Amino acid sequence: MFENLSYAIVQLLHNFGAAAVVGIAIFALYPAAQPVPIQRGFAWLVGIGWSVQALSGMGFGAVSYYFYEKLPDLNGIAFAALLVKITCAAVSIGIAVMFLRRAAGWTVEQRRAAWKLLIALGVTALTAAAFLRWFA
Amino acid sequence: MRTAYVLAASLVLGCYVPVSLAADASVVISSPVNGAKLDPKTPVKLDYEVSMGEKGDHTHLYVDKSEALTLRGLKGAHSIGTLSPGQHEICIKVVNKAHTPIGAQQCIKVSVEPTA
Repeated sequence: MFENLSYAIVQLLHNFGAAAVVGIAIFALYPAAQPVPIQRGFAWLVGIGWSVQALSGMGFGAVSYYFYEKLPDLNGIAFAALLVKITCAAVSIGIAVMFLRRAAGWTVEQRRAAWKLLIALGVTALTAAAFLRWFA
Repeated sequence: MRTAYVLAASLVLGCYVPVSLAADASVVISSPVNGAKLDPKTPVKLDYEVSMGEKGDHTHLYVDKSEALTLRGLKGAHSIGTLSPGQHEICIKVVNKAHTPIGAQQCIKVSVEPTA
């Protein structure tokens, strides 16, 4: 009961984090590009979303270790998918931080490119998540 | 008061027994048997039967500590192809939805030797 609840809470955070990192990045550009102050707010949310993704991802391992003293057993395609997700999270957090620090001096095209990159990273991570789920 | 005791005992037993029965996950590899000698040219067919118990979700098949594939059936036969000459260990472990081994497993050791 407590074990299932622990996994469920971690999964809940991971799901909402996934929705946030993709949905907010898309909404920053489509259907219309948002003003810079609002984009900054979105960058905060995307950065927090990716941080939640990273922490909840570690949470799966932590819950497993707490209950079984073992980490999830991932090999081959599943392990590669996990590395892809970790890379997406690290790069995206970096872009979000750069956006918050420097985007005021960026051109419209540069800001647009940053959001498109964040969308691509979010979509890549979600795709990798499917392979991680079913190839392990 | 006595009725309350009976109801409480029924509740405890009613909750306890199914949980304890459902909690037992198990793995049986019926073929090849532990210690079997196999031909390097013949694909190894693994016959297995698994009970997921309360917490298991699927199984991982390992050949020499390396995960070969995921098994989702509870019972069946699966070919793992040919094995190189020498000693090999084949394991099936029950894992949960997070892919964490929950403890139920069976490992066998086989010896692959060219037949004369």
